[in-house]
Amino acid sequence: MAQQVKIPTVGESITEVTIANWLKNDGDQVKMDEVIAELESDKATFELTAPQAGILKIAKQKGETVPIGAVICEITDLAQGAITPAVAQPKPAPAPSPSKSSNGQSKTGGIKEMKVPPVGESITEVTISTWLKKEGDFVTLDEVIAEVESDKATFELPAEASGILRIVAQEKTTLPIGGLICKIEIAEGAPAKAPAASPAVGDGTPASTGSSSYAAGYPSPAAAKILDEKSIPTTAVPGSGVGGRITKDDAVKAQATTGKPSETKPVQTAPVISTGGVRNVRREKMTSLRKTIAKRLVAVKNETAMLTTFNEVDMKPVMDLRSHYKDKFKEKYGVGLGFMSFFTKAICEALKEFPAVNGSIEGEELVYHDYCDISIAVSTPRGLVVPVIRNAELLSMAQIESEVARLAGKGRDGKLSIEEMTGGTFSITNGGVFGSMMSTPIINPPQSAILGMHNIVERPVVRNGEVVVRPIMYVAMSYDHRIIDGRESVSFLVRVKEMLEDPGRMILGI
Amino acid sequence: MEYNVTVIGSGPGGYVAAIRCAQLGFKTAIVEKYASLGGTCLNVGCIPSKALLDSTEHFHNAGHTFKEHGIELSGLKVNFGQMIKRKGDVVKSNVDGIAFLMKKNKIDVHNGLGSFVDKNTIKITGKDGKEKTITSDYVIIATGSKPTPLPFAPFDKKRIISSTESLELKEIPNHLIVVGGGVIGMELGSVFARIGSKVSVVEFLDNLIPTMDGTLGKELQKSTKKLGMDFYLGHKVTALTSNGQEVTLTAEDKSGKKLELKGDYCLVSIGRRPYSDGLGLDKVGIELDHGRVPVDDHLKTNVDNIYAIGDVVRGAMLAHKAEEEGVMVAEELAGQKPHINYLLIPGVVYTWPEVASVGYTEEQLKANGKVYKVGTFPYKALGRARASMDTDGLVKILADKSTDEILGVHIIGARAADMIAAGVTAMEFRASAEDVARMSHAHPTYMEAVKEACLAATANRSIHS
Repeated sequence: MAQQVKIPTVGESITEVTIANWLKNDGDQVKMDEVIAELESDKATFELTAPQAGILKIAKQKGETVPIGAVICEITDLAQGAITPAVAQPKPAPAPSPSKSSNGQSKTGGIKEMKVPPVGESITEVTISTWLKKEGDFVTLDEVIAEVESDKATFELPAEASGILRIVAQEKTTLPIGGLICKIEIAEGAPAKAPAASPAVGDGTPASTGSSSYAAGYPSPAAAKILDEKSIPTTAVPGSGVGGRITKDDAVKAQATTGKPSETKPVQTAPVISTGGVRNVRREKMTSLRKTIAKRLVAVKNETAMLTTFNEVDMKPVMDLRSHYKDKFKEKYGVGLGFMSFFTKAICEALKEFPAVNGSIEGEELVYHDYCDISIAVSTPRGLVVPVIRNAELLSMAQIESEVARLAGKGRDGKLSIEEMTGGTFSITNGGVFGSMMSTPIINPPQSAILGMHNIVERPVVRNGEVVVRPIMYVAMSYDHRIIDGRESVSFLVRVKEMLEDPGRMILGI
Repeated sequence: MEYNVTVIGSGPGGYVAAIRCAQLGFKTAIVEKYASLGGTCLNVGCIPSKALLDSTEHFHNAGHTFKEHGIELSGLKVNFGQMIKRKGDVVKSNVDGIAFLMKKNKIDVHNGLGSFVDKNTIKITGKDGKEKTITSDYVIIATGSKPTPLPFAPFDKKRIISSTESLELKEIPNHLIVVGGGVIGMELGSVFARIGSKVSVVEFLDNLIPTMDGTLGKELQKSTKKLGMDFYLGHKVTALTSNGQEVTLTAEDKSGKKLELKGDYCLVSIGRRPYSDGLGLDKVGIELDHGRVPVDDHLKTNVDNIYAIGDVVRGAMLAHKAEEEGVMVAEELAGQKPHINYLLIPGVVYTWPEVASVGYTEEQLKANGKVYKVGTFPYKALGRARASMDTDGLVKILADKSTDEILGVHIIGARAADMIAAGVTAMEFRASAEDVARMSHAHPTYMEAVKEACLAATANRSIHS
């Protein structure tokens, strides 16, 4: 029996995933529960296992974005292994004549909803000025299908998928950012581009031009070199050449898979000279994670009234305390005593006093949280992830440290679950680890505030009328002025500062 | 360091490596022992032999096919001195071309014997005995190869000669004995057979050009027999002596039957040995393996900054193989990741008809237990070949029985050397026989034989046979 494998439901609010990598090739024999593909949502990467043993027939290629529930492959069990290769072809035999247009397309089931993209700061709505394609037309990916105008400019709207256009918003309709413009019934192969009929089968020779040819995935000489330089295995690149061969263009456009650093490793053995003056430009497709980061960061800028307040913290008391007790702490709890626990603790105390900083706006309501779920920004090879320390206000210093270590480690390994990254009522980001002196962090929505830590630098400061040298950290808090007033934000940061400069206050609650 | 890269040896491997290094921005030097650049290939190998092959083929045609074409000549004779002189001119213009390329790419040329002082220092000893040293981050050994003598009969360079001397003979031999029916023996044997020498080829194995597909050796034997060449296959040479005027060769076949040949010259072309004499490899701790400089897949020796390419390392001793390796090392040094598919380095014999081959031979496929199919097409069925009277030869395509993928392309016939590039292209892209059969080939051309052989391999349906 052939079993269809569908994209499983992977988490609330996730509607689509991108196929990051096929670990098995079309036609491979797979075992039950064997990992066959890596899927990537905007929040996490996860693995897809085979529900039964059999022969894999891939329906969606690497890089395609597919909705939850869509069929991405079929597994034909081995009892039916006798099926001839002709039947196992991934695509049905194309219609012999291109004139039968409808037969040239194969619907792949998915529907792409196209929404108004964020087009710029302060633009909240756009008007559909002209449809360049008609209802029911076949559109191809990136083809311009409509002209849209905002109060500032007119721009072109490219199709986000190939398929049949279903118009939702008629011309002259005004839509908010995010409003539904049209749907595209995802289908493959434009009518006019229906592949030609396979050549004379009469000879009894195997058709060598089929898409599952023995040469599928075989790189051209130039492609092989390029892929090797990018450290991309040929199995990770869908070949667009005859019989699935990997062309130079495929290799040029291929991007490294997730999980590993995506940058190509430049020069390993090169002597340090650069008179060659290479001026290459590389283009890589954005990962879902990067797209989400980009979209959300711009949205925050657009949709909140964000500003930043600064202060400086004399870190000497914390550093003294830490150097005094760090060995004992480590001995007792098995984790190092870092600055993160002090900051988290101080922030939780301050949040209790200024609940708006711990709140958020939902529609027309203000939401206050009686708990402190602190999001910690962790830089990973794939990009920024923000795991959450739950009920941080109840945790001991040691518990906070071990939780930070656990989450950061999982983050770096790309193993964080979506659960571990959702929620969060306040964020901490530490640009200091990279040497940042001062920055204005961006709020992590729907939260209303984020605190930025920076590097600790010895600076001359005045204490009791005398200039002394102290380890100083500048701190910054960006906040949404819609919910947090200036008085609250500044007082909050001052409270954090006071507690860090005199940690005893945290115990006493003063 | 004075240089990023120093190449020792300026043959096709070495000079190409140097140019590619310079293109990639390395400060590059090249060291050459002889007065002229270009190594064996340009000075005493590929280029001069082709010059003589072309000259003698013209003579042969003038004497044998012109009449049929309707061109009548009288008093046709060879001016051997002029042939050798023209060959020298061809060599000189090629060598000058390399010197120009070195200049154009700002590559420093150091004349003298290069030898390692340590892994970054090369001592260069000039002809006049003067020494200098240069330093370099990386060194590429490209010192090539030398003809191998028979163990019991060293080259006297007068009567018992190698390919090098054969290109500088003062007279046309009456009877040239050739030991070794490989590429060099067959090419140079043809040169002298065409201008009147009696040529006897003694080969240890049972086939000419024994590393190539067996069909090619048989066809080549048929064609060259027409030139008057005699063949003693399966004969082991037991003695070779010269009295200064005459050489005497004795050999025996497998049954022990003795053969004695007397001639005025004996060309010993039983192979070439990797050459690294005087390079001072012991100074850097490189130990030869069967005379070769051992290298890894990236052509790096056991010393981190020293690479080696061409005839001095494993693999076929071919100029174009050395060139690919030169490019590969240069790009490796620049952090790129180039590839060489050694299976797809074509082999060519510039006899007439020419012989060219790429991929697996039928013998290899048999030995590997591969299930394959064969498509052949004879030149004599080609319109183009009839027009030019070059009807000797055939194209043989070997393809995978189940996938139809081309596994080997073997050609003997006019212009095979140029045609084989199409076979390399097809195989680099892993084309099937039917793929090639479905590509338009211009008519009338010799390449149609390739298309027809592919049709034959696809389903035995060549059109013109």
